[in-house]
Order: sequence, then structure tokens, then C-alpha cells
Amino acid sequence: MSAYQKYRYENDCKPDENRNKGTSRWTHCRKRGADGNLRKSLEVGEPDKCSQSSRRQESFTTPESEGPVSRVKNWGDEVEAEEMRSNVQRDMHRYRRRILEADFPQRDRKISSGSSDSRDSKDSKESPAKGDIETDETTLIRRQKQINYGKNTLAYDRYIKEVPKLMRQPGVHPKTPNKFKKYSRRSWDQQIKLWRVKLHAWDPPAEEGSDLQQIEEIDLGEIMEFELDVECSADTEFQCPTSSGALLSLAEDSFAGTPKKMMKIEDAEMS
Amino acid sequence: MENSSKEEYKIQSFDLETQKLLKTALKDPGSVDLEKVSNVIVDQSLKDQNFSREAGRICYTIVQAEAKQTNGNVFRRNLLNRLQQEFKAREETRKRSTQEWVCLVSFICNIFDYLKVNNMPMMALVHPVYDCLFRLAQSDALQNEEEVDCLVLQLHRIGDQLEKMNMQLMDELFNLLRDGFLLQEDLSSMGRLLLLEILEFRAGGWTLSETAQKYYYSEVTD
Repeated sequence: MSAYQKYRYENDCKPDENRNKGTSRWTHCRKRGADGNLRKSLEVGEPDKCSQSSRRQESFTTPESEGPVSRVKNWGDEVEAEEMRSNVQRDMHRYRRRILEADFPQRDRKISSGSSDSRDSKDSKESPAKGDIETDETTLIRRQKQINYGKNTLAYDRYIKEVPKLMRQPGVHPKTPNKFKKYSRRSWDQQIKLWRVKLHAWDPPAEEGSDLQQIEEIDLGEIMEFELDVECSADTEFQCPTSSGALLSLAEDSFAGTPKKMMKIEDAEMS
Repeated sequence: MENSSKEEYKIQSFDLETQKLLKTALKDPGSVDLEKVSNVIVDQSLKDQNFSREAGRICYTIVQAEAKQTNGNVFRRNLLNRLQQEFKAREETRKRSTQEWVCLVSFICNIFDYLKVNNMPMMALVHPVYDCLFRLAQSDALQNEEEVDCLVLQLHRIGDQLEKMNMQLMDELFNLLRDGFLLQEDLSSMGRLLLLEILEFRAGGWTLSETAQKYYYSEVTD
């Protein structure tokens, strides 16, 4: 057997591939279709053709891929899925680093209260790095998709322009749920729902205006005199939508003062 | 700026209207029909050998520009799906026109080289690229200098990346090349030389030793 054919054969033997779909480009090489009927040969050419053009199964699991790749996917979808996976992995590394930094703050980093109390309380509430963070990729990807739906809205766009992250008041301003925290499925879905409902307050004016929306626009519009380029959320930087190209970038450090323990308070609210 | 961007993206071969479309796509992707842009680029890559080897760069820039401006993926998605169609039809393409076939391979490999996802090569393209290279390593293709030339060009450019993604396939590919070089009698001498050079190239860790460089690339004085 030539190396070419040998490779194809090895892939044929992969146990977890899905052979049922009949529309792959190798179906002409199989004698029967998924319905059990004999196929007519679709290819006119050398008998060798089968092995050459169908060298590989479209569905396979390789060490590089994160699981079985569906046979019917197109390249556009596949690459988007790859991108989502690698973004989630990258977010996870960043999150872990941030958590570690929170547990072990550097010497020159200012902590609001000098005592160890604030650190302890932060630790106990938030030591997810010790293995308590959500790591299951399917879950993370599902959650990220839900977050993306919310972030790809005009309302979200307007919201992040109006309210810089450090000016957010817990309770008043929506906060993106943290996909790395352990939650039950119901709890997470509920958080997402509540978050998205809150975001509606920033829907563009063409929609039915609520009193709340009017008030928000007046109060905050007057306070905010400049636009800031902010991170989309505390934890994720996945494709932060920015509708205009030119936003000023302000270092977060320039906002001095007590960093609000927003996560903690938000947790209490959510649970 | 006008001429340099033409040079950089090698779009001189397009008609003026299309050049304008491409330039707008680079600056303001949200304002153009990105599906049309991707088709225009693919069509040209299949015709123009020079462009097929360099089109990756303009594609990359448009992808980045679109992501930044509208957070969208329309261009990349359309490009990849169109490329997939062409890839599926590659055997017919090869029968119809060797030139188109080698252009297709160059283009796919160039896309693999330039369009990275979070600085990683697109996994979805690894097997298709290997597929193309394996096809070029078949005995009927090795007879054809144009195809051998294409094969070694791609290996020079992306061989090391491909190997990282899948060492086993690269080993198998090179087994074919070695066999072809040693056993196939109907290779042209240029074809044989090209194969020998690429065998040495990989053996040297995807680079040519100085001696090899001298052997292959300097003029011989009688």
C-alpha cells in the first residue's frame, strides 16, 4: 500500500467518526449509501481516482482538533469555530493570571484598605484559580456565544460608550456574567436573561422609549463628556464591538480611588 | 501611497474599477459587498500566477479591517467557502488546465500562510493543503515540471508550519517525494533537481546549508 492510501485507510478506522451523512465527497467511494442501497458510481475515471481524491475523511479526530469535526461543515464555519475555541482558551489563561494576581498582589500595587481583611474576604469569595473555575470547553463556548449575542447589539454599543467600566454602579449598570465562574445551567441562563433585559435600557431611541431610558440618557449624558475605549468586560475581550474607529484610550490607572468590589456585590445580587 | 499599495498587494493586474473596489475594501470594508470582493480575488488568483502567490496578504488586511470596523467575518467566511468549492473541484480543474490547478494550490497555501487565527494557522486548512501537496507528489504530476515547481515552492514557504501541524503527514509526503526521485524514470532533470533540493531543504531543518546553497544556486564556471 502506498503511503497515500495507507493514510486514508488509517483514517477510515477512526471509531468516532460519523459515517451516516451521505453528502461528503467520498460517498462515491462507498458501495452503499446511508439508506443501504447500492450506489451507482458517480465517478468516471481510473479506479485509482477514488483513493486519490478521497484520501481523507471529512470527519476525523486528530490530536490537533478539539473533538470530532462534523463532516458537513464548511471551511467558513470551521474556522469560526476554531477561532471561538482559541479565544476561549486565551480568555481562560488571562483570567487565571488575573485571579492569581488578585490572590497574590504585587508589592507596589495599591490596595484600598491596608489591612489583610479585604484580601481575605476577596480570597474566600473569589479563589476560583484553585480549581473552581469553569473549564469545560463546550460550556465556555456556549456561554461565550450567549455573551456575544448580547454584545453584538446596538444597545450594548451605546452602553459601553456612555458608561466607562469604572464608572459602573452595581445594580444600576448591567455587568456581563463571568463565564468562568461555576454556575448551574439554569442560573447562568437566568443571569444572561437579566443582563440582556438590563441592556435594553440603552436601546436606540427609535424603539419605544421608557421613562427609565430617558432618565438614563439625561443623567449620564451630561456627566460623560468624552468617549472612552473600554474593555468589554472584566474577563473577556472577545471581539469587543466598537462602532466608531476613533475612541480615546484612557489607562485605567488614571481613575484613582477605591476600586469597587463589584464582583462581590454583583454576586450577592445574582444569587 | 497609490502606487505603493498597488505594489504591496500586487493588484496591478486588475482592471481599474476592480482596483478601486479593492482599495475601498481595505479602507472601508463595511461599505462594499465583501462577498463580491472575495469572489473577485479568488477568480483572479486562479488566472494570475503572480497574484495567486501573493493574494494572501491583501486578504489578511481585509479580514483585519472588517473585524476592526464592524466586528464581522463576512469576507473571511465567503473567501473560505469559495476556496472550499474550488478545492472540491480541483481534480477537474487539474484536468482542464494545469496552470489553473497550480494557481489554486499556490493560493490555498498563501491563504494558509497569511490568514492566521489568533496567530495560529487555520487548522481547517491543514488537511486540504496536504491533500494538494500529496496530489502534486503523485507520479503523473511529478512528470510535469510546472507541478513540481509549484510543489517545492509551497514547501519552501510553508513546509515548516505544515510539519508542525502534522509531522506524520509530512513524513509520508516526503516518502513519496523520495520514492519519486529515486524510482521514477520519467522525471525531467529539472524536476529531479527540484526534488533533490527540497529533500535536502527539509533534511536541513527547512533551510539550506551553505554548501547546498552553493550547489543549487550558484553559477557553475567551466
